[in-house]
Amino acid sequence: MMLNRRQLIGGAAAGATASLAGCAGLTGRTPSQEAPEQTTLTFVNWSGDAEKAAFDALIAAFTAANPDVVVRTDTVPYASIQTNIDSRFQAGTPPDLFRVSYIDIGQYTSQGVLLDVSGTFTAERAAQFVPGLYQGVVADGRPYGVPHQIDTSAVLYRTDAFEAAGIRDVPASLEEAWSWEEFAAVAERLAGVTKGKQVPFIYNWQAAGAYRWLSWLFQADGRLLTEDLLAPAVDSPQGRRTLEFTRSFYTEGWVARNSSTKSTTYAGDEFVAGAAAMAFVGDFVLPAVDAGVDFEYRVLPMPRDVRAASDLGGNAIVAAAEGAHTEAALRFLDFIAQEEPMRTYCEATGQLPTLTSLTQTELDFEVRPDLMGTFVEQATTITPEQVAQVTVPAFARINTLLGNELETMFLQGREAGATAQALDEALAQALR
Amino acid sequence: MSRAARPSAVGRDREGPAFAAPALLLAGTFLVLPMLLAGVYSFTDIAPLSGAVSWVGLQHYATMLADPVFARAVLNTALFTAVTVPGSMALGLALALLMNSVLPARALFRTVVYLPLVISGVAVGLIGTLLFNETTGVLQTLAAALGLPPVSWQSSGPAAFASVVLITLWVRVGFTMIIYLAGLQAVPVELHEAGQVEGAGRWQRFRWITWPLLGPATFFLLVMSVIYSFQVFDTVFVLTGGGPGSATEVLGTYAYDTAFGPARDQGYGAALGLVVFVFTLVFTLLQWRASRTRDEAA
Repeated sequence: MMLNRRQLIGGAAAGATASLAGCAGLTGRTPSQEAPEQTTLTFVNWSGDAEKAAFDALIAAFTAANPDVVVRTDTVPYASIQTNIDSRFQAGTPPDLFRVSYIDIGQYTSQGVLLDVSGTFTAERAAQFVPGLYQGVVADGRPYGVPHQIDTSAVLYRTDAFEAAGIRDVPASLEEAWSWEEFAAVAERLAGVTKGKQVPFIYNWQAAGAYRWLSWLFQADGRLLTEDLLAPAVDSPQGRRTLEFTRSFYTEGWVARNSSTKSTTYAGDEFVAGAAAMAFVGDFVLPAVDAGVDFEYRVLPMPRDVRAASDLGGNAIVAAAEGAHTEAALRFLDFIAQEEPMRTYCEATGQLPTLTSLTQTELDFEVRPDLMGTFVEQATTITPEQVAQVTVPAFARINTLLGNELETMFLQGREAGATAQALDEALAQALR
Repeated sequence: MSRAARPSAVGRDREGPAFAAPALLLAGTFLVLPMLLAGVYSFTDIAPLSGAVSWVGLQHYATMLADPVFARAVLNTALFTAVTVPGSMALGLALALLMNSVLPARALFRTVVYLPLVISGVAVGLIGTLLFNETTGVLQTLAAALGLPPVSWQSSGPAAFASVVLITLWVRVGFTMIIYLAGLQAVPVELHEAGQVEGAGRWQRFRWITWPLLGPATFFLLVMSVIYSFQVFDTVFVLTGGGPGSATEVLGTYAYDTAFGPARDQGYGAALGLVVFVFTLVFTLLQWRASRTRDEAA
């Protein structure tokens, strides 16, 4: 069909009118004929395929119970979530609801931009959550959101690689977890059989995951910050020992050099591609790994040193204090923090619940339920002290600095002692 | 001119700005205004959430002078420009000379060389990650099959820098080739014939006939390539993220990370952006002046 310019301009004008009408819909100010009392909530989040489907199901259940509220999701890539949220706040149109990781939440609570939910989440309600985790959403004694789920890391391994290396004594529970020395011996044996085609393991500290290095530090009974959370505390005997040990991953050739903290590779992807015999990954990666692999794999707990520890991954759902529909947003937060919706969401996504009642029952996970038990058990090693250190307002910045300093040690060979000093100097600046 | 003709001339004068207005409005709103604002913001601190602006004067520029990452980014950007600009132009010229000759399936080859240019920078970066992945990448598999030693494309600074340069050349060569090809086709055949009659060899004819006549094309490519190289962002951002360490950090990625990364320092980010602008402006002015004096001298 041929169009002349007039028709084209006419078409464009009609299109513009239609899209402007669409914009009116987005802000919830639709002409009143259809549903006069309906409130539209904007929910900004990032999600993989399984999470997206689970969020959609969650929202459908909420809308069925609350027919006057429509929840519109805006799914953005994880890499740009912060920019997206910041720009909405700066423009004066914050989203009604958004998803935020525990390690990022401090930068919002410290600015007073989140809705205080203490009216709905009373002390009695708060007591239903795993205490250490609930602290993640609390600032100055008040809750600013719902700890929706957590995830934590454990170690996936290829059974063929373990067989080839003659590793038969595989820990099945936290009690049996390998010590650092035992883990090092296993890595050494794997390095002997895989010979350049496959590295013994990959650790998931890439892509804003530098904070996962802290699992080793906490295992060694070290601290990132002093007890008052005001000063850095990495430069300690425990900190130096941890840096020394993790540095050896690279000097011994147990990990690929392109898997450092600032690398653009992902642990789950490399494991699926067959590049590593073991992969430290978060439970949320399981659906993607399981869909991708063509070999048999199982799971074992994180190694332990003085004690067992793993990372606090996972996210809270929060509402903006200046949101247009705070009452409806509160209702949504109330809904998702109930047992049944949380159970359904976690079972579908392979993530772990935050309600004590659910952590004590066995969930019917959709993907590899046989492996999820190890992750659930691993999550019990996350302590309130650890949560407090990774949810300080400056943590997002600390995470970046940690990634920079560790990479200098891993790839440029800086000594552990010098790295401990450099880390403390950098952290002190970030905390100022 | 008759009296009757005047009103229409005046009418035409009025129509001019009216026709230009939409373009001017768009350029003003989306190019000039943001640029001016970035200049203003470079003297301020901007709160990441409230957007509250506070005046800090020249503080960001002072920080810049003492910032080792900034120094590294300037050095990397300059090196990247120094390698990619002559590299892409020389390769483009060589290919243009080849495609301008009697080559079978010329149209096909031209398309193949030009094709990468129409792919978005982000896609190019992603293709790069598949090629240069140190453990599972295409190049590594190929090297292993041929018995060549593995290259640390991602974990060694110089190799990562080379990967960015190579992928940029792959994209840019198509553009320089097309421009040079157009330039070559405008070189009169008679001049070459005259040169041949006078006994000039192939190299002499290229040096004294073709190359001077390609002057305008070379100048255009130089300006465009320098601007492109100074503003490089997407490919580096996706391919290496500025790493390992700061080995491939360029001004574009550093400004972005500063303003929109976890640091969220939009004021300092704006100052860094302004530096890119000033560098580009100065280079372009210098080249423009050099070209004008050259033309006048000619």
